[in-house]
Amino acid sequence: MRARVGIWITSETFPALPPNFSRPTGLYLGRTLAGLLETVQIALVSTLLAIFLSFIISLGASRNVSPPWLLWPTRMLLNMIRTIPSLLWALLAVVIVGSNSLAGVIALTLYSVGYLAKFFSETFESADLNAQKALQSLGAGRLQAFQYGLWPNARPIIWSHCLWMLEYNVRSASIIGYVGAGGIGLHLKLYAESADSWNKFSLVLLCILVIVTLLDFAGEKIRKSIRDKLEGTGS
Amino acid sequence: MNSSLLETEGLGLCISQRWLFRNLGISIPPQSFVGVTGPSGVGKTSLLRLLARDLQADEGKVCSHLQGGQNTAMIFQDLQLADGASALHNALGGCLGRHSGISTFFNFPKQEKEAANNWLEKFGLAGKSRQWASTLSRGERQRLAICRTLLSNPTLLLADEPVASLDSEWAGQTLQILKDSQIQKGGSLVCSLHDEDQVQRFADFVLRLHPSDPTSWSWETLSRRTES
Repeated sequence: MRARVGIWITSETFPALPPNFSRPTGLYLGRTLAGLLETVQIALVSTLLAIFLSFIISLGASRNVSPPWLLWPTRMLLNMIRTIPSLLWALLAVVIVGSNSLAGVIALTLYSVGYLAKFFSETFESADLNAQKALQSLGAGRLQAFQYGLWPNARPIIWSHCLWMLEYNVRSASIIGYVGAGGIGLHLKLYAESADSWNKFSLVLLCILVIVTLLDFAGEKIRKSIRDKLEGTGS
Repeated sequence: MNSSLLETEGLGLCISQRWLFRNLGISIPPQSFVGVTGPSGVGKTSLLRLLARDLQADEGKVCSHLQGGQNTAMIFQDLQLADGASALHNALGGCLGRHSGISTFFNFPKQEKEAANNWLEKFGLAGKSRQWASTLSRGERQRLAICRTLLSNPTLLLADEPVASLDSEWAGQTLQILKDSQIQKGGSLVCSLHDEDQVQRFADFVLRLHPSDPTSWSWETLSRRTES
């Protein structure tokens, strides 16, 4: 069985392995890095926009904050947004604003809002509500009780969701270029369609892996610092 | 002017088909410390919540004689702090009722911050004002919850076992601060307590609830009040 695997996975049967770092591929590295930078920019801008929009929408979708007449229409809207996959959002955005990175930002923002607003509203509903109630009993208004009673308890989980969404969007931004929405996806498409470019294709994949891993490390660091602060174990 | 801040008439509360107390008629005079005692589960917390209008009575009523601008506030037994906020921001929660949401959206007024810091200092939390509430000990959290309620400047303060997690030194000091602050402004304090020594040392009146008979509650005026 092992010998069989050895036969099957060779540079002839699977040309993407190993990635070719020789001089011709080195020329592509600059282009790849530029594409990667654009991908990260698309992911970052769309995640920030989505956080802002999701925060507002999630207030309408949280049972303990929103009145029923607003709750169900908002939840229905979020369900509709989540029904459409990111690639379809990208196609729609390309049709509307053309084939550029703005299309990517629009697509990923809308896609992320569907999930982040859902995560945020569920966090607000499941967070400890006692502090919010205590502040209301001391005369605070609804907004004040939310800001100083509920939000501090929900904040660590909210940031954790935001970091996850950023990481997810870097991966999504890598693929939406396939339909012309900017980023490194365009390179992936070109290399995948060209028979002798699998080594370049794997180089792009490796670069994406590096970025995703770095984001994962950074996210873990930030989560740990929040955890330490919450438990008082940080230095 | 009315001679009491709050009165109850024939008050009764039934929880899970068990009457905690019935036909309760008490009057809370201004500038007084009312101790509420009784074993656990007798209904001390429920009575305080009734007085705070947080619960509905099954019979009788609570009559408030507080004037406009006077308020009732409660120190909760389970503290109800925002764990992810600093001690200072938790304490400042007590002043929110005096300000609009817009004026406290980005920051608190300077004089409120000073008042909050004064209370934190009085309760030995000055060095921990920037720490998250989750990192404080149980005793510190209890003192923080007291600071928050005191900052709301209540005329009638309802305290549900406010010294249950404090050592004897802090317990005595805390009850003295609570009593002084209420009496100075002409307010009153209704405080559930387990320790009979604390009741005898601080209370002017004591309401004793009995678990066996919901109608056999008793109201005593302690000697200190009679002498004064």
